[in-house]
Amino acid sequence: MNRVLPVLPATPPARPPAPVAPFVRLTALWIQITGTWCNLRCTHCINASGPGEPWLPVLDAGTARAAIREADALGVKEIYFTGGEPFLHGEILPLLREALAVAPTTVLTNGTRIGATMADALAGLAAESPYSLEIRVSLDEVDPEANDRVRGRGAWARAVGAIRRLDARGLLPIVTATEILRDERAGGPGTYERFRTFLLSLGVEKPRVKIMPVFSTGRLERDGGELLTEERLEGFDRGLLQCAESRVVAHGGVYACPILAGLPEARLSTGSIEESFRPAPLYHTVCVTCHETGMSCRNY
Amino acid sequence: MDETLRPRPDREYRRIAVFGGVYNNSEALAATLEDTRRRDVEAVFCLGDMGGFGPHPDRVFPLLQEHGVLAIQGNYDESLASGRADCGCGYTDPRDNHFARISYEYTFTRTAADHKAWLGTLPRHRRVALGPHRVLMCHGSPRVINEFLWESTTPDGLLRHFLRQQAADVLLCTHTGIKWHRPLPGGERAVNVGVIGRPENDGSTNVWYTVLTATPDLQVEFVPVHYDHETLARQIEQEGLPAEFAETIRTGWWTTCLENLPTKERVRGKF
Repeated sequence: MNRVLPVLPATPPARPPAPVAPFVRLTALWIQITGTWCNLRCTHCINASGPGEPWLPVLDAGTARAAIREADALGVKEIYFTGGEPFLHGEILPLLREALAVAPTTVLTNGTRIGATMADALAGLAAESPYSLEIRVSLDEVDPEANDRVRGRGAWARAVGAIRRLDARGLLPIVTATEILRDERAGGPGTYERFRTFLLSLGVEKPRVKIMPVFSTGRLERDGGELLTEERLEGFDRGLLQCAESRVVAHGGVYACPILAGLPEARLSTGSIEESFRPAPLYHTVCVTCHETGMSCRNY
Repeated sequence: MDETLRPRPDREYRRIAVFGGVYNNSEALAATLEDTRRRDVEAVFCLGDMGGFGPHPDRVFPLLQEHGVLAIQGNYDESLASGRADCGCGYTDPRDNHFARISYEYTFTRTAADHKAWLGTLPRHRRVALGPHRVLMCHGSPRVINEFLWESTTPDGLLRHFLRQQAADVLLCTHTGIKWHRPLPGGERAVNVGVIGRPENDGSTNVWYTVLTATPDLQVEFVPVHYDHETLARQIEQEGLPAEFAETIRTGWWTTCLENLPTKERVRGKF
Protein backbone atom coordinates (compact mmCIF):
# COMPACT_ATOMS: atom_id res chain seq x y z
CA MET A 1 0.00 0.00 0.00
CA ASN A 2 1.31 3.37 -0.92
CA ARG A 3 1.46 5.89 1.89
CA VAL A 4 1.08 9.57 1.15
CA LEU A 5 3.71 11.43 3.09
CA PRO A 6 2.97 14.96 4.22
CA VAL A 7 5.00 17.61 2.51
CA LEU A 8 6.84 19.58 5.18
CA PRO A 9 7.89 23.16 4.54
CA ALA A 10 11.62 23.61 4.27
CA THR A 11 11.54 26.31 6.96
CA PRO A 12 8.94 26.91 9.67
CA PRO A 13 6.41 29.64 8.90
CA ALA A 14 7.68 33.06 9.97
CA ARG A 15 6.07 34.37 13.16
CA PRO A 16 4.93 37.96 12.89
CA PRO A 17 7.04 40.34 14.95
CA ALA A 18 5.80 40.83 18.51
CA PRO A 19 3.70 43.92 19.15
CA VAL A 20 5.33 46.56 21.32
CA ALA A 21 4.39 48.76 24.26
CA PRO A 22 5.49 52.39 24.01
CA PHE A 23 7.81 53.91 26.58
CA VAL A 24 5.72 56.59 28.29
CA ARG A 25 7.70 57.63 31.36
CA LEU A 26 9.94 56.25 34.11
CA THR A 27 7.62 55.86 37.08
CA ALA A 28 9.15 52.80 38.71
CA LEU A 29 12.74 51.63 38.85
CA TRP A 30 13.08 47.97 39.79
CA ILE A 31 16.39 46.64 41.04
CA GLN A 32 16.71 42.86 40.70
CA ILE A 33 19.22 42.87 43.50
CA THR A 34 19.70 39.16 44.17
CA GLY A 35 18.92 37.89 40.67
CA THR A 36 17.25 34.53 41.16
CA TRP A 37 19.06 33.66 44.38
CA CYS A 38 16.54 32.76 47.08
CA ASN A 39 16.39 30.66 50.24
CA LEU A 40 12.95 29.29 49.27
CA ARG A 41 11.95 27.28 46.23
CA CYS A 42 8.28 28.06 45.66
CA THR A 43 6.41 25.84 43.21
CA HIS A 44 5.05 28.79 41.25
CA CYS A 45 7.99 31.24 41.38
CA ILE A 46 7.78 33.57 38.41
CA ASN A 47 11.50 33.52 37.74
CA ALA A 48 12.38 30.09 39.12
CA SER A 49 14.42 31.48 41.99
CA GLY A 50 15.91 29.09 44.48
CA PRO A 51 18.82 28.21 46.73
CA GLY A 52 21.04 26.67 44.04
CA GLU A 53 23.27 28.48 41.58
CA PRO A 54 21.03 31.32 40.29
CA TRP A 55 20.47 31.44 36.54
CA LEU A 56 20.38 35.23 36.93
CA PRO A 57 23.35 36.34 39.05
CA VAL A 58 23.25 38.71 42.00
CA LEU A 59 23.60 42.37 41.03
CA ASP A 60 26.69 44.14 42.29
CA ALA A 61 26.06 47.03 44.67
CA GLY A 62 27.90 49.52 42.44
CA THR A 63 25.50 48.92 39.55
CA ALA A 64 22.54 49.31 41.92
CA ARG A 65 23.93 52.61 43.26
CA ALA A 66 24.50 53.96 39.77
CA ALA A 67 20.94 53.01 38.84
CA ILE A 68 19.52 54.85 41.85
CA ARG A 69 21.50 57.97 40.97
CA GLU A 70 20.49 57.89 37.33
CA ALA A 71 16.83 57.23 38.11
CA ASP A 72 16.78 60.18 40.52
CA ALA A 73 18.13 62.48 37.80
CA LEU A 74 15.48 61.13 35.41
CA GLY A 75 12.63 61.97 37.80
CA VAL A 76 11.71 58.46 38.95
CA LYS A 77 8.71 58.22 41.29
CA GLU A 78 9.41 54.99 43.17
CA ILE A 79 12.09 52.34 43.58
CA TYR A 80 11.57 48.60 44.14
CA PHE A 81 14.03 45.93 45.27
CA THR A 82 13.28 42.38 44.27
CA GLY A 83 15.00 39.07 43.49
CA GLY A 84 15.22 36.25 44.53
CA GLU A 85 15.21 37.23 48.14
CA PRO A 86 16.60 40.78 48.53
CA PHE A 87 17.53 40.36 52.19
CA LEU A 88 20.17 37.77 51.21
CA HIS A 89 22.19 40.60 49.65
CA GLY A 90 25.07 41.68 51.88
CA GLU A 91 24.55 45.38 51.15
CA ILE A 92 20.79 45.56 51.20
CA LEU A 93 20.55 47.98 54.14
CA PRO A 94 22.99 50.60 52.80
CA LEU A 95 21.35 50.31 49.38
CA LEU A 96 17.91 50.86 50.90
CA ARG A 97 19.24 53.92 52.72
CA GLU A 98 20.54 55.34 49.43
CA ALA A 99 17.27 54.63 47.64
CA LEU A 100 15.23 56.17 50.45
CA ALA A 101 17.32 59.33 50.21
CA VAL A 102 15.83 59.98 46.77
CA ALA A 103 12.47 58.19 46.47
CA PRO A 104 9.87 56.03 48.20
CA THR A 105 11.20 52.50 48.23
CA THR A 106 9.65 49.04 48.40
CA VAL A 107 11.21 45.64 49.08
CA LEU A 108 9.56 42.42 47.92
CA THR A 109 10.52 39.70 50.37
CA ASN A 110 9.56 36.26 51.63
CA GLY A 111 10.04 37.58 55.16
CA THR A 112 12.32 34.76 56.26
CA ARG A 113 15.25 37.08 57.05
CA ILE A 114 13.29 39.67 58.99
CA GLY A 115 14.04 38.90 62.60
CA ALA A 116 13.89 41.50 65.37
CA THR A 117 17.29 43.01 64.50
CA MET A 118 16.43 43.44 60.82
CA ALA A 119 12.99 44.80 61.66
CA ASP A 120 14.62 47.37 63.97
CA ALA A 121 17.07 48.34 61.23
CA LEU A 122 14.25 48.79 58.72
CA ALA A 123 12.25 50.88 61.16
CA GLY A 124 15.34 53.06 61.63
CA LEU A 125 15.74 53.54 57.88
CA ALA A 126 12.05 54.40 57.53
CA ALA A 127 12.23 56.95 60.34
CA GLU A 128 15.20 58.82 58.88
CA SER A 129 13.71 59.17 55.36
CA PRO A 130 11.03 61.64 54.27
CA TYR A 131 9.78 58.92 51.92
CA SER A 132 7.77 55.81 52.69
CA LEU A 133 9.49 52.46 53.02
CA GLU A 134 7.13 49.65 52.06
CA ILE A 135 7.84 46.01 52.83
CA ARG A 136 5.86 43.50 50.78
CA VAL A 137 5.82 40.08 52.44
CA SER A 138 4.78 37.12 50.29
CA LEU A 139 2.32 34.63 51.76
CA ASP A 140 0.18 32.44 49.55
CA GLU A 141 -2.37 31.11 52.00
CA VAL A 142 -3.55 31.91 55.49
CA ASP A 143 -3.47 28.22 56.39
CA PRO A 144 0.10 27.08 57.30
CA GLU A 145 -0.16 23.64 55.74
CA ALA A 146 -1.51 24.92 52.41
CA ASN A 147 0.98 27.78 52.27
CA ASP A 148 3.96 25.59 53.02
CA ARG A 149 2.90 23.10 50.37
CA VAL A 150 3.74 25.70 47.72
CA ARG A 151 6.33 27.85 49.54
CA GLY A 152 8.23 25.21 51.53
CA ARG A 153 8.16 23.89 55.08
CA GLY A 154 8.34 26.58 57.73
CA ALA A 155 7.76 29.43 55.27
CA TRP A 156 4.37 30.38 56.80
CA ALA A 157 5.69 30.70 60.34
CA ARG A 158 8.65 32.82 59.28
CA ALA A 159 6.57 35.11 57.05
CA VAL A 160 3.92 35.58 59.72
CA GLY A 161 6.65 36.34 62.27
CA ALA A 162 8.00 39.02 59.93
CA ILE A 163 4.53 40.50 59.43
CA ARG A 164 4.03 40.77 63.20
CA ARG A 165 7.47 42.33 63.77
CA LEU A 166 7.09 44.88 60.97
CA ASP A 167 3.58 45.81 62.03
CA ALA A 168 4.67 46.24 65.65
CA ARG A 169 7.21 48.81 64.44
CA GLY A 170 4.67 50.78 62.40
CA LEU A 171 5.98 49.56 59.06
CA LEU A 172 2.52 48.26 57.98
CA PRO A 173 3.65 45.44 55.67
CA ILE A 174 1.75 44.78 52.45
CA VAL A 175 0.98 41.06 52.39
CA THR A 176 1.22 39.82 48.83
CA ALA A 177 -0.59 36.66 47.82
CA THR A 178 -0.73 34.89 44.50
CA GLU A 179 -3.86 33.01 43.59
CA ILE A 180 -2.00 29.72 43.20
CA LEU A 181 -4.35 27.96 45.65
CA ARG A 182 -7.55 29.66 44.52
CA ASP A 183 -9.15 26.48 43.17
CA GLU A 184 -8.82 24.80 46.57
CA ARG A 185 -10.68 27.67 48.21
CA ALA A 186 -13.55 27.87 45.72
CA GLY A 187 -16.87 28.58 47.40
CA GLY A 188 -15.42 30.31 50.46
CA PRO A 189 -14.50 33.94 50.96
CA GLY A 190 -12.31 35.42 48.23
CA THR A 191 -8.55 35.66 48.62
CA TYR A 192 -8.67 39.35 49.54
CA GLU A 193 -11.28 38.95 52.29
CA ARG A 194 -9.60 35.80 53.61
CA PHE A 195 -6.29 37.60 54.02
CA ARG A 196 -7.86 40.72 55.52
CA THR A 197 -9.70 38.62 58.12
CA PHE A 198 -6.56 36.63 58.85
CA LEU A 199 -4.41 39.74 59.37
CA LEU A 200 -7.01 41.29 61.65
CA SER A 201 -6.99 38.05 63.66
CA LEU A 202 -3.22 38.44 64.09
CA GLY A 203 -3.83 41.86 65.62
CA VAL A 204 -2.76 43.76 62.50
CA GLU A 205 -5.12 46.75 62.75
CA LYS A 206 -4.35 48.19 59.32
CA PRO A 207 -4.26 45.14 57.06
CA ARG A 208 -2.83 45.72 53.60
CA VAL A 209 -3.27 43.03 50.97
CA LYS A 210 -2.13 42.82 47.36
CA ILE A 211 -3.28 39.97 45.16
CA MET A 212 -1.19 38.83 42.21
CA PRO A 213 -2.33 36.54 39.40
CA VAL A 214 -0.45 33.34 38.64
CA PHE A 215 1.91 33.60 35.68
CA SER A 216 2.76 30.68 33.42
CA THR A 217 6.44 31.33 33.57
CA GLY A 218 9.44 30.57 35.72
CA ARG A 219 8.74 27.35 37.57
CA LEU A 220 5.33 27.12 35.88
CA GLU A 221 6.74 27.66 32.38
CA ARG A 222 5.03 25.46 29.80
CA ASP A 223 5.62 25.06 26.10
CA GLY A 224 3.27 26.94 23.86
CA GLY A 225 0.72 29.30 25.29
CA GLU A 226 -0.97 32.31 23.84
CA LEU A 227 0.89 35.38 22.69
CA LEU A 228 -0.29 38.92 22.12
CA THR A 229 -0.90 40.01 18.55
CA GLU A 230 -1.55 43.35 16.91
CA GLU A 231 -5.14 42.26 16.26
CA ARG A 232 -5.71 41.37 19.88
CA LEU A 233 -4.40 44.75 21.03
CA GLU A 234 -6.50 46.77 18.65
CA GLY A 235 -8.22 49.60 20.50
CA PHE A 236 -6.28 48.91 23.72
CA ASP A 237 -4.16 51.68 25.26
CA ARG A 238 -0.77 49.99 25.56
CA GLY A 239 0.46 52.87 27.66
CA LEU A 240 -1.48 51.26 30.52
CA LEU A 241 0.85 48.25 30.62
CA GLN A 242 3.42 48.46 33.38
CA CYS A 243 6.30 48.06 30.92
CA ALA A 244 5.31 51.48 29.53
CA GLU A 245 6.49 53.12 32.73
CA SER A 246 8.83 50.69 34.49
CA ARG A 247 12.41 49.69 33.91
CA VAL A 248 14.36 46.93 35.66
CA VAL A 249 18.06 46.95 36.34
CA ALA A 250 19.38 43.41 36.67
CA HIS A 251 22.58 41.56 35.94
CA GLY A 252 23.25 41.99 32.24
CA GLY A 253 21.38 45.20 31.57
CA VAL A 254 18.11 47.08 31.74
CA TYR A 255 14.86 45.24 31.09
CA ALA A 256 11.25 46.20 30.48
CA CYS A 257 9.54 43.94 33.00
CA PRO A 258 10.27 42.72 36.54
CA ILE A 259 8.95 39.26 35.65
CA LEU A 260 11.07 38.90 32.51
CA ALA A 261 14.27 40.49 33.87
CA GLY A 262 17.31 38.52 32.81
CA LEU A 263 15.78 37.15 29.61
CA PRO A 264 17.66 38.37 26.53
CA GLU A 265 14.46 39.11 24.57
CA ALA A 266 13.28 41.50 27.31
CA ARG A 267 16.57 43.40 27.52
CA LEU A 268 16.39 46.97 26.22
CA SER A 269 19.84 48.24 27.11
CA THR A 270 23.20 46.99 28.23
CA GLY A 271 24.15 50.52 29.29
CA SER A 272 22.22 53.26 31.00
CA ILE A 273 18.57 53.34 32.03
CA GLU A 274 17.96 56.22 29.65
CA GLU A 275 19.15 54.07 26.75
CA SER A 276 16.29 51.69 27.54
CA PHE A 277 13.67 54.38 26.91
CA ARG A 278 12.28 52.74 23.80
CA PRO A 279 9.32 50.46 23.01
CA ALA A 280 9.26 47.08 24.75
CA PRO A 281 8.39 43.92 22.81
CA LEU A 282 5.29 42.13 24.13
CA TYR A 283 6.73 38.80 23.13
CA HIS A 284 6.04 36.54 26.11
CA THR A 285 3.00 34.63 27.37
CA VAL A 286 3.12 36.69 30.60
CA CYS A 287 2.28 39.76 28.49
CA VAL A 288 -1.12 38.15 27.89
CA THR A 289 -1.75 37.97 31.65
CA CYS A 290 -0.79 41.63 32.13
CA HIS A 291 -3.05 42.65 29.24
CA GLU A 292 -6.01 40.59 30.42
CA THR A 293 -5.85 41.28 34.15
CA GLY A 294 -4.53 44.86 34.07
CA MET A 295 -2.16 43.81 36.84
CA SER A 296 0.88 45.72 37.97
CA CYS A 297 3.74 44.52 40.11
CA ARG A 298 3.77 48.00 41.72
CA ASN A 299 2.12 48.50 45.12
CA TYR A 300 -0.98 50.26 43.80
CA MET B 1 12.87 75.95 26.45
CA ASP B 2 12.76 78.64 23.75
CA GLU B 3 11.56 81.86 25.42
CA THR B 4 8.94 82.41 22.71
CA LEU B 5 7.43 78.98 23.44
CA ARG B 6 7.03 79.51 27.17
CA PRO B 7 3.41 79.11 28.24
CA ARG B 8 1.90 82.42 29.24
CA PRO B 9 0.05 82.76 32.53
CA ASP B 10 -3.66 83.59 32.39
CA ARG B 11 -3.25 86.54 34.77
CA GLU B 12 -1.04 87.97 37.45
CA TYR B 13 -2.12 88.00 41.10
CA ARG B 14 -0.66 88.94 44.46
CA ARG B 15 -2.78 86.78 46.75
CA ILE B 16 -5.01 83.81 45.93
CA ALA B 17 -6.97 81.07 47.70
CA VAL B 18 -6.87 77.51 46.36
CA PHE B 19 -8.76 74.40 47.39
CA GLY B 20 -9.47 70.95 45.99
CA GLY B 21 -11.86 68.03 46.51
CA VAL B 22 -15.31 69.46 47.22
CA TYR B 23 -16.81 65.95 47.28
CA ASN B 24 -20.42 67.23 47.30
CA ASN B 25 -19.75 68.94 50.64
CA SER B 26 -21.75 72.14 50.12
CA GLU B 27 -21.61 72.96 53.84
CA ALA B 28 -17.80 73.10 53.82
CA LEU B 29 -17.75 74.87 50.46
CA ALA B 30 -20.01 77.66 51.74
CA ALA B 31 -17.87 78.04 54.87
CA THR B 32 -14.65 78.08 52.84
CA LEU B 33 -15.93 80.74 50.45
CA GLU B 34 -17.09 82.81 53.42
CA ASP B 35 -13.62 82.49 54.95
CA THR B 36 -11.81 83.52 51.76
CA ARG B 37 -13.81 86.77 51.66
CA ARG B 38 -12.21 87.81 54.94
CA ARG B 39 -8.68 87.23 53.68
CA ASP B 40 -8.25 89.82 50.96
CA VAL B 41 -7.68 87.34 48.16
CA GLU B 42 -7.94 88.44 44.54
CA ALA B 43 -9.21 85.12 43.20
CA VAL B 44 -10.36 81.72 44.42
CA PHE B 45 -9.33 78.57 42.57
CA CYS B 46 -10.65 75.01 42.82
CA LEU B 47 -8.44 72.16 41.61
CA GLY B 48 -11.31 69.80 40.87
CA ASP B 49 -13.34 66.81 42.10
CA MET B 50 -16.64 68.50 42.87
CA GLY B 51 -18.33 65.14 43.47
CA GLY B 52 -17.67 62.29 45.88
CA PHE B 53 -18.60 61.00 49.31
CA GLY B 54 -21.21 63.64 50.23
CA PRO B 55 -24.94 64.24 49.58
CA HIS B 56 -26.86 66.38 47.08
CA PRO B 57 -24.20 66.96 44.40
CA ASP B 58 -26.16 69.72 42.64
CA ARG B 59 -25.84 72.05 45.65
CA VAL B 60 -22.17 72.84 45.07
CA PHE B 61 -22.45 74.19 41.53
CA PRO B 62 -24.43 77.39 42.25
CA LEU B 63 -21.96 78.21 45.03
CA LEU B 64 -18.94 77.74 42.76
CA GLN B 65 -20.49 79.74 39.95
CA GLU B 66 -21.98 82.59 42.02
CA HIS B 67 -18.63 83.17 43.71
CA GLY B 68 -16.69 83.14 40.46
CA VAL B 69 -14.48 80.25 41.54
CA LEU B 70 -11.92 79.50 38.83
CA ALA B 71 -12.01 75.73 38.60
CA ILE B 72 -10.09 73.04 36.78
CA GLN B 73 -11.19 69.51 36.08
CA GLY B 74 -10.50 66.63 38.42
CA ASN B 75 -10.88 62.96 37.56
CA TYR B 76 -14.39 62.87 39.07
CA ASP B 77 -15.44 65.84 36.96
CA GLU B 78 -13.97 64.31 33.84
CA SER B 79 -15.86 61.06 34.51
CA LEU B 80 -19.18 62.81 35.17
CA ALA B 81 -18.83 65.03 32.12
CA SER B 82 -17.95 62.21 29.78
CA GLY B 83 -20.43 59.65 31.16
CA ARG B 84 -17.77 57.22 32.30
CA ALA B 85 -18.87 54.21 34.33
CA ASP B 86 -16.46 54.92 37.19
CA CYS B 87 -14.92 57.85 39.02
CA GLY B 88 -11.42 57.25 37.70
CA CYS B 89 -10.00 57.85 41.16
CA GLY B 90 -7.22 55.37 40.47
CA TYR B 91 -7.88 52.96 43.34
CA THR B 92 -6.60 49.42 42.95
CA ASP B 93 -7.83 47.88 46.19
CA PRO B 94 -11.19 46.00 46.16
CA ARG B 95 -12.45 47.67 49.37
CA ASP B 96 -11.59 51.16 48.07
CA ASN B 97 -13.30 50.39 44.78
CA HIS B 98 -16.43 49.09 46.54
CA PHE B 99 -17.02 52.42 48.30
CA ALA B 100 -15.91 54.46 45.30
CA ARG B 101 -18.54 52.73 43.17
CA ILE B 102 -21.36 53.52 45.62
CA SER B 103 -20.29 57.13 45.83
CA TYR B 104 -19.95 57.57 42.08
CA GLU B 105 -23.26 55.92 41.19
CA TYR B 106 -25.04 58.15 43.72
CA THR B 107 -23.35 61.29 42.38
CA PHE B 108 -23.74 60.40 38.72
CA THR B 109 -27.48 59.85 38.95
CA ARG B 110 -28.05 63.05 40.95
CA THR B 111 -25.93 65.51 39.02
CA ALA B 112 -27.98 67.56 36.57
CA ALA B 113 -27.08 67.44 32.90
CA ASP B 114 -26.20 71.14 32.75
CA HIS B 115 -23.80 70.72 35.68
CA LYS B 116 -22.15 67.76 33.97
CA ALA B 117 -21.86 69.88 30.83
CA TRP B 118 -20.24 72.69 32.85
CA LEU B 119 -17.71 70.23 34.28
CA GLY B 120 -16.88 69.29 30.71
CA THR B 121 -15.91 72.87 29.92
CA LEU B 122 -13.30 73.12 32.67
CA PRO B 123 -9.63 73.19 31.71
CA ARG B 124 -7.21 70.47 32.89
CA HIS B 125 -4.58 72.98 34.01
CA ARG B 126 -4.29 76.65 34.82
CA ARG B 127 -1.25 78.89 34.78
CA VAL B 128 -1.10 82.12 36.73
CA ALA B 129 1.63 84.48 37.81
CA LEU B 130 1.81 85.13 41.53
CA GLY B 131 4.10 88.12 41.69
CA PRO B 132 7.29 86.83 40.08
CA HIS B 133 6.33 83.17 40.52
CA ARG B 134 5.08 81.07 37.62
CA VAL B 135 2.36 78.83 39.05
CA LEU B 136 1.03 75.67 37.45
CA MET B 137 -2.24 74.25 38.83
CA CYS B 138 -3.33 70.68 38.21
CA HIS B 139 -5.55 68.08 39.87
CA GLY B 140 -3.39 64.95 40.39
CA SER B 141 -0.10 65.73 38.70
CA PRO B 142 0.81 67.74 35.60
CA ARG B 143 0.99 64.51 33.60
CA VAL B 144 -1.87 62.34 34.91
CA ILE B 145 -5.18 63.66 36.23
CA ASN B 146 -5.53 60.92 38.87
CA GLU B 147 -1.89 60.51 39.92
CA PHE B 148 -1.53 60.51 43.71
CA LEU B 149 1.14 62.93 44.91
CA TRP B 150 1.36 62.02 48.60
CA GLU B 151 3.97 63.81 50.62
CA SER B 152 5.86 60.58 51.35
CA THR B 153 5.78 59.26 47.78
CA THR B 154 6.67 62.35 45.80
CA PRO B 155 10.41 62.64 45.36
CA ASP B 156 12.17 65.98 44.98
CA GLY B 157 13.62 64.69 41.71
CA LEU B 158 10.13 64.11 40.31
CA LEU B 159 8.97 67.58 41.35
CA ARG B 160 12.03 69.16 39.72
CA HIS B 161 11.27 67.13 36.60
CA PHE B 162 7.64 68.38 36.53
CA LEU B 163 8.60 72.01 37.09
CA ARG B 164 11.35 71.94 34.49
CA GLN B 165 9.09 70.28 31.93
CA GLN B 166 6.28 72.75 32.60
CA ALA B 167 8.46 75.86 32.84
CA ALA B 168 6.97 76.65 36.27
CA ASP B 169 8.34 77.62 39.69
CA VAL B 170 5.37 76.52 41.77
CA LEU B 171 3.25 73.42 41.40
CA LEU B 172 -0.20 73.24 43.00
CA CYS B 173 -2.08 69.93 43.15
CA THR B 174 -4.70 68.07 45.22
CA HIS B 175 -6.36 64.61 44.67
CA THR B 176 -4.88 62.81 47.69
CA GLY B 177 -6.90 64.61 50.36
CA ILE B 178 -3.96 65.51 52.59
CA LYS B 179 -2.12 68.82 52.26
CA TRP B 180 1.65 69.36 52.20
CA HIS B 181 4.16 71.99 51.16
CA ARG B 182 7.72 71.37 49.97
CA PRO B 183 10.26 74.08 49.21
CA LEU B 184 12.92 72.66 46.89
CA PRO B 185 16.63 73.48 47.16
CA GLY B 186 16.50 75.58 43.97
CA GLY B 187 13.79 77.84 45.39
CA GLU B 188 10.86 76.17 43.61
CA ARG B 189 7.80 75.01 45.54
CA ALA B 190 5.29 72.21 45.41
CA VAL B 191 2.06 72.46 47.37
CA ASN B 192 -0.72 69.95 47.73
CA VAL B 193 -3.51 72.33 48.68
CA GLY B 194 -5.64 69.73 50.45
CA VAL B 195 -9.39 69.20 50.10
CA ILE B 196 -12.47 70.77 51.63
CA GLY B 197 -14.75 67.76 51.12
CA ARG B 198 -13.55 65.56 53.94
CA PRO B 199 -11.25 65.99 56.92
CA GLU B 200 -7.68 64.89 56.48
CA ASN B 201 -7.53 61.73 58.57
CA ASP B 202 -6.15 63.36 61.69
CA GLY B 203 -9.10 63.05 64.07
CA SER B 204 -10.22 66.67 63.55
CA THR B 205 -13.47 67.49 61.77
CA ASN B 206 -12.24 70.67 60.08
CA VAL B 207 -11.09 70.78 56.46
CA TRP B 208 -8.27 72.80 54.85
CA TYR B 209 -7.58 75.17 52.01
CA THR B 210 -4.51 77.21 51.06
CA VAL B 211 -3.75 80.91 50.72
CA LEU B 212 -0.69 81.84 48.64
CA THR B 213 0.78 85.35 48.76
CA ALA B 214 3.62 86.90 46.77
CA THR B 215 5.44 89.35 49.08
CA PRO B 216 7.29 88.96 46.61
CA ASP B 217 8.66 85.83 48.35
CA LEU B 218 6.01 83.16 48.24
CA GLN B 219 4.09 82.67 51.47
CA VAL B 220 2.05 79.49 51.82
CA GLU B 221 -0.61 79.37 54.52
CA PHE B 222 -2.86 76.39 55.24
CA VAL B 223 -6.20 77.59 56.57
CA PRO B 224 -8.47 75.35 58.68
CA VAL B 225 -12.19 75.62 58.01
CA HIS B 226 -14.70 74.63 60.66
CA TYR B 227 -18.18 74.08 59.29
CA ASP B 228 -21.47 72.46 60.23
CA HIS B 229 -20.20 68.93 59.79
CA GLU B 230 -23.04 67.41 61.82
CA THR B 231 -25.61 68.70 59.33
CA LEU B 232 -23.59 67.17 56.50
CA ALA B 233 -23.29 63.83 58.32
CA ARG B 234 -27.06 63.74 58.88
CA GLN B 235 -27.67 64.47 55.19
CA ILE B 236 -25.36 61.61 54.25
CA GLU B 237 -27.41 59.28 56.43
CA GLN B 238 -30.73 60.60 55.13
CA GLU B 239 -29.58 59.95 51.57
CA GLY B 240 -28.80 56.32 52.39
CA LEU B 241 -25.10 56.66 51.70
CA PRO B 242 -22.75 54.32 53.64
CA ALA B 243 -22.52 54.94 57.38
CA GLU B 244 -18.73 54.95 56.94
CA PHE B 245 -18.95 58.25 55.01
CA ALA B 246 -20.85 59.94 57.83
CA GLU B 247 -18.44 58.50 60.40
CA THR B 248 -15.48 60.12 58.63
CA ILE B 249 -17.24 63.51 58.65
CA ARG B 250 -18.06 63.20 62.37
CA THR B 251 -14.73 61.82 63.59
CA GLY B 252 -12.11 63.17 61.21
CA TRP B 253 -10.77 59.66 60.57
CA TRP B 254 -10.92 58.10 57.11
CA THR B 255 -12.93 54.90 57.08
CA THR B 256 -12.93 54.23 53.32
CA CYS B 257 -10.77 54.84 50.26
CA LEU B 258 -7.60 54.63 52.33
CA GLU B 259 -6.00 51.41 51.15
CA ASN B 260 -3.72 53.29 48.76
CA LEU B 261 -2.28 55.45 51.53
CA PRO B 262 1.49 54.99 51.75
CA THR B 263 2.86 53.74 55.08
CA LYS B 264 3.83 57.13 56.48
CA GLU B 265 0.37 58.61 55.86
CA ARG B 266 -1.51 55.43 56.81
CA VAL B 267 0.21 54.99 60.14
CA ARG B 268 -1.00 58.42 61.27
CA GLY B 269 -4.67 57.48 60.76
CA LYS B 270 -6.93 55.41 62.96
CA PHE B 271 -7.84 52.75 60.37
